[in-house]
Amino acid sequence: MSDIRLVNLTKSYGEGNAVSDVDLAIEEGEFFSLLGPSGCGKSTTLRMIAGFVRPTSGRILIGGDDITALPPERRDIGIVFQNYAIFPHMNVAENIAFGLKLRKLPKAEIARRIEDSLRQVGLSGYETRYQRQLSGGEQQRVALARVLVTEPRILLLDEPLSALDKGLREEMKFWIKDLQKKLKITTIYVTHDQDEALTMSDRIGVMAKSRIVQVGTPQEIYERPKTLFVTSFIGHSNVVDVAVRRVADGMAVVALGGSELASRAGAGLAEGAAAKLVVRPENILIGTALREGDARLPATVVSETYQGAIVRYRLAVGDQEIVAERQNQAHVERFAPGTAVTIGWAPDWSETLLA
Amino acid sequence: MRRRGVSISEAFGGFRLWWLVLPAFLFFLAFFVVPVLSLLAISFNKTVPGVVTLTDAFTLDNFVRIFTRPLYYEAILRSIGLGVVVAAVALVLGYPLAFLIAKTEHPGRNTALMILVLASMQLDMVIRMYGLMVLMGDTGLINSALIGLHLIDEPLPLMYNAFGVVVGLVQVTLPFMVLSLVGIIRAIHPSLEEAARSLGASRGEAFRRVVLPLSMPGILAGSLLVFALSISSYVVPALMGGWKVVVLPIHIYQQIAEAGRWQFGAAVAAILFLTSLVAVFVYHRAAVLTSGGRT
Repeated sequence: MSDIRLVNLTKSYGEGNAVSDVDLAIEEGEFFSLLGPSGCGKSTTLRMIAGFVRPTSGRILIGGDDITALPPERRDIGIVFQNYAIFPHMNVAENIAFGLKLRKLPKAEIARRIEDSLRQVGLSGYETRYQRQLSGGEQQRVALARVLVTEPRILLLDEPLSALDKGLREEMKFWIKDLQKKLKITTIYVTHDQDEALTMSDRIGVMAKSRIVQVGTPQEIYERPKTLFVTSFIGHSNVVDVAVRRVADGMAVVALGGSELASRAGAGLAEGAAAKLVVRPENILIGTALREGDARLPATVVSETYQGAIVRYRLAVGDQEIVAERQNQAHVERFAPGTAVTIGWAPDWSETLLA
Repeated sequence: MRRRGVSISEAFGGFRLWWLVLPAFLFFLAFFVVPVLSLLAISFNKTVPGVVTLTDAFTLDNFVRIFTRPLYYEAILRSIGLGVVVAAVALVLGYPLAFLIAKTEHPGRNTALMILVLASMQLDMVIRMYGLMVLMGDTGLINSALIGLHLIDEPLPLMYNAFGVVVGLVQVTLPFMVLSLVGIIRAIHPSLEEAARSLGASRGEAFRRVVLPLSMPGILAGSLLVFALSISSYVVPALMGGWKVVVLPIHIYQQIAEAGRWQFGAAVAAILFLTSLVAVFVYHRAAVLTSGGRT
């Protein structure tokens, strides 16, 4: 078994905490992303799992074994660094052989495994190259081959795509995901890029200010953000001030610009609370796109921006502004600036959260 | 990762850069190249005490004499041996210090350590040697303390021998070793060591297989520098060795300053210069080999 449990994991430096009370259960074979802005504690969490940083308190378990006190070399963990950390004084084959030689495998076995692993990452024939002769993408593949060849129990990836250019990043995103699915290896992926996290992960843990603020599938994180931080960090959202009128059965009725609107209610929401209504631009419907039961309010089109696949509208609602993005396709109505329109959304596609 | 950037000549324009280095080049030519070459030239003249004039009467007599008299060829071996020992001791003492400085990220502490290393270079070498003599002489601090504690009856021979010279030379050359190493060690990204650890290497194995090989350029440069400084030092063997540890610079001084035998002294100097050149060549080969053909 190679499931990972983090129990109240904490790291303090002097006054402040880099990581506070992180509690996570990551299932065997799962691709789990730690997502957050720089300085949120995600890298420190990863480095504690790898054994490079000693936790101030808390425990780390892999497959039920407590590894909190083990040195890095006895944890059986593969880690790929942001800069790939290819040993510059060794060629590709020697880099991959590094972990195997330490495990005292026979020469023939090492040679066979090097060949297999290079084939697996699509770098057959690269054995005698040195780090400076490899592109960023090739270095990344070597770094992956070097850890996977030792058959670690879990794989840690520390922002592995951030040093690549955009095209290669897209390609590697799917390549890494496919490889991980094929090997069924439990993986923790640290990133500040929401797009990578949403595309690759089975589940995402969003971190902010040393804490995990929400854990869920990409869809849950995107569509059901629990806090305003998650809302603002993942994708774009309209966040508008509203007054809470009623809360019942997980739904809230809020007042905005003289209209009463239904939306999902976030935790701790109560009548009279200062709150923010959160709706993503693609979920704002205009005019005839609205259906029975949708929240509705009057608005005025401020501007219309043509962006190819989508058309972006800025809409004035009272003294606040809402952005809507509509697909630019057949049978979708367009609205000129100055037009008075009715806008709205399906209540289930909006959240009202405590401010 | 590949390095990107513009070369200095691209940045400055090849032509203008020449004018910037011209004063230094002229100074170097006039006050280093010309005098050294003239000294080497007269080593091929017959030795006539008190005469410094260069003549065209070419002879190898001086060199034949050096390589046939034990007094002189033993001094060559002694100088080389001393240089090797000093380089080795300076490396063993300097590496941990350089490692500590390189790994100290706190800017204040880092600066403090560097100042400590550089401070020893601020004092004149002669003064530092007299300081060492106060410590290590027969009636110096160490010996009088040991005798006062009745641990020994006779003073230990700490000075006026090879031991004293090695101590003096290590003291003088250690900062050069440390400075050669710090930059190289600092350039080894911490993730390389961490990658090695995670792949199954203990702290010691990670050091031996990754950090030490990657320190090699600094180790080679530092050792070469210390070797060259050691074999060419006159002050330290003279004061700490009390003229008893006869190395090449002592011969050069005695021949020229005391006997006025410029031509022969110049020949010994030529041998000293050649020894340094050979060392540079040997170290260059070693650098190519240890870098895995990366240069």
